Amino acid sequence: MKQRALWSAVLVVGLATAGCGSASDTGSSSSGGSTDKLVVWDWKSGEPSAGPYIEKAKADFAKKHPDVTLEFVAQPFDQYYTLLGAAIQSGKGPDVMLFNGGGQIRDRVDALVPLDEYVAEDKQRLAGWDAFAKDGKTYAGPVTLQGHPIYYNKALYEKAGLDPASPATTWDKFLADCAAIAKAGAKCFALGNKEGAGIQFWMSALGSAILTAQEYDDWIAGKRDWNSPNVKRIFQLWKEAGDAGLNNEGANSTAMFNDAFALFQSAKAAHVIGLMSDVGHWKDFNEFLTPDKLGVMSAPVVTAGTTPSLAYDGGIGYAVAKWTKDPKVAADLVRSLTSTDALNAFYADAGAIASDTTIDVSQAGPAAATIVSQLKNGKPALHVALSSKTLDLMGRIAQQLLSGSISVDEAVKQLGASDQAG
Amino acid sequence: MPIGNAQPSVRPVPAGRTDGAPAGSAGRRRGAGPRPVRRGSRAERFAPYVLVAPAILIIVVLRLYPLLLGVNFSFTGDGERNGTTVGLDNYLELLDDPLFRTALSNVGLLVLLLPVAVAIPGLLATFIYLRVPGHRFYRSVYFFPAVLSPVIVGAIFNLLLAFDGPVNAGLEAAGISPVDWLGKPGVAMFVVVGVHIWATFGMALVVFLAGFATLDAALLDAARVDGASLPQVIRHVIIPGLSRTIAFVAVTTMVGMLTSMFGLLYVMTSGGPEGSTYLPEYYIWIQQGQMNRPALASAASTVLFVIMLVVGLLQVKLLRRAGGED
Repeated sequence: MKQRALWSAVLVVGLATAGCGSASDTGSSSSGGSTDKLVVWDWKSGEPSAGPYIEKAKADFAKKHPDVTLEFVAQPFDQYYTLLGAAIQSGKGPDVMLFNGGGQIRDRVDALVPLDEYVAEDKQRLAGWDAFAKDGKTYAGPVTLQGHPIYYNKALYEKAGLDPASPATTWDKFLADCAAIAKAGAKCFALGNKEGAGIQFWMSALGSAILTAQEYDDWIAGKRDWNSPNVKRIFQLWKEAGDAGLNNEGANSTAMFNDAFALFQSAKAAHVIGLMSDVGHWKDFNEFLTPDKLGVMSAPVVTAGTTPSLAYDGGIGYAVAKWTKDPKVAADLVRSLTSTDALNAFYADAGAIASDTTIDVSQAGPAAATIVSQLKNGKPALHVALSSKTLDLMGRIAQQLLSGSISVDEAVKQLGASDQAG
Repeated sequence: MPIGNAQPSVRPVPAGRTDGAPAGSAGRRRGAGPRPVRRGSRAERFAPYVLVAPAILIIVVLRLYPLLLGVNFSFTGDGERNGTTVGLDNYLELLDDPLFRTALSNVGLLVLLLPVAVAIPGLLATFIYLRVPGHRFYRSVYFFPAVLSPVIVGAIFNLLLAFDGPVNAGLEAAGISPVDWLGKPGVAMFVVVGVHIWATFGMALVVFLAGFATLDAALLDAARVDGASLPQVIRHVIIPGLSRTIAFVAVTTMVGMLTSMFGLLYVMTSGGPEGSTYLPEYYIWIQQGQMNRPALASAASTVLFVIMLVVGLLQVKLLRRAGGED
């Protein structure tokens, strides 16, 4: 009997220590930390189309640090920031990690190393740094550019008796064109606002045609006057477009990714505010509409005297964690991941507008060429300047504006309060 | 009265096997425990503690300790105030957040909808038990949705309920104006709960059918001979006879609604439209994963834990009363 108790005690202690042991093991293996191995987290490296990009970047890095091994861990994007949040909270995690520009990285700069001293040479060659900067410091090297061109379907323009080569340049003309398109049996905009992303795209695509240049720059600089008539106009126009039936029906229950884009691709709507990289972009649309039928237009002028420009920022970029052993080595990996060769592969295979402005995109069709030609005069997107909290609120308020359960005045009041608090 | 008296003498054995398994076995263990203590050596007296130690250790180390850490964490700040004690700030912020209040009121809505979620499998099981034509077919078909993952169910209903989807096409063909099922704040939550009930009622149905197996058929025959209508049979024979099963299904359905609707919400509405379909779980996920507010999420988790604790204790009480113990 005594022996049995003894054995069970041994068993208990054994089980308990085994449990603890395995827990701490997994903790340390995912933390990287040593200089002879760098762990990279992203949501891209698992995709076949990103394969050549990763290979090129690895080859470039191997030239500089042949003795350092790389481990790319592709996380599911849905849970990426949840997993990253847990890693940051515990102070252990990947050495290098992928971020979306804007709020997602700015909210987490406490866990990152400023890269300015390491990436100085790349500043000219690459565009889109601002989306990864906070308080004058840069925290990631941009890989792609993300922005919001207005795509249109030239075939539907022809069907509606409009000239596909000269889309509307003023809002009034645009509304007239939409009426013609409606007669031809299509909606004006494919809009998906289920996730609340529709309003973000709307704000950024049309913002430069609504806000004056001064207001625009102030907005990006953080001096946002939510009571100004032009800011209100952004939301007023959103509501009017919904009330006038310019959007597909059920916009609040239509997912932007990818139901709204599918409506555009299947020629049920003539315009869509899409993206430049990743999804919902020229490469996807080219496949369905063919490159000749896909156009990119500038925002039609709403406020007289404004000069519409393309809204874009750094899309995704790699950052270095504070807890990495040697930030220099990790920063070199970021530089390899943003080398011209690697980015050229990313542009060609994954269909992204890469941050490297020296890449030649003439093979990708007129839409991509138009986008790249607009980069020079482009400005940061308005919504990227807002905090994730305000964006989340704006998504819900945009749904309320479409359903008519909130007034424009109340909407900007709530958004202003949230923006000031954040 | 005769029915009530007859129950306890017939029930305990099958009831112990179907519904009351944990309570029954716990009772037996308690009864058997003390006996060896009186007779055995010290080692033997020690043995039970050693044997339960692994389970207790796992619960303490992997459940209770993290729980305490989480509660403790909820009193610290986020972002710039990371790590500093902020007292009840997070809880005050929760109270102030209309989104969290919506999430809590949706929990209340789930409690209110519980009778419906129990009645549907109950009624369908009754029809199967009463052998309506095709009852064998229905028995297997009703269980089918229970084996589908919530993500797949959500995707299916997303397609069906899309504004330009087949359900609205059917309505339009019938001359009724289409409804934006997942885009109207007043409708969406009911739709999601409805889909959840559709997806999970199969399990409750099986429990009900097991309960029917213990129902005395002679009582039904007697009621029929006395000329009772179907509603009267249900009201006076089936419901009293199945009270324990009903209580058990109510408890498991409630737990299911509170803990496993995340997948459906995530796929079908993403908490929208206008934030109307938020549940505490979804709120916690958004705050932690999207807003980078882990401490606020911990506070919300603590609130959810307290709610679950209260609901759970009430339900245990309900189960005990229905089971006739104490």
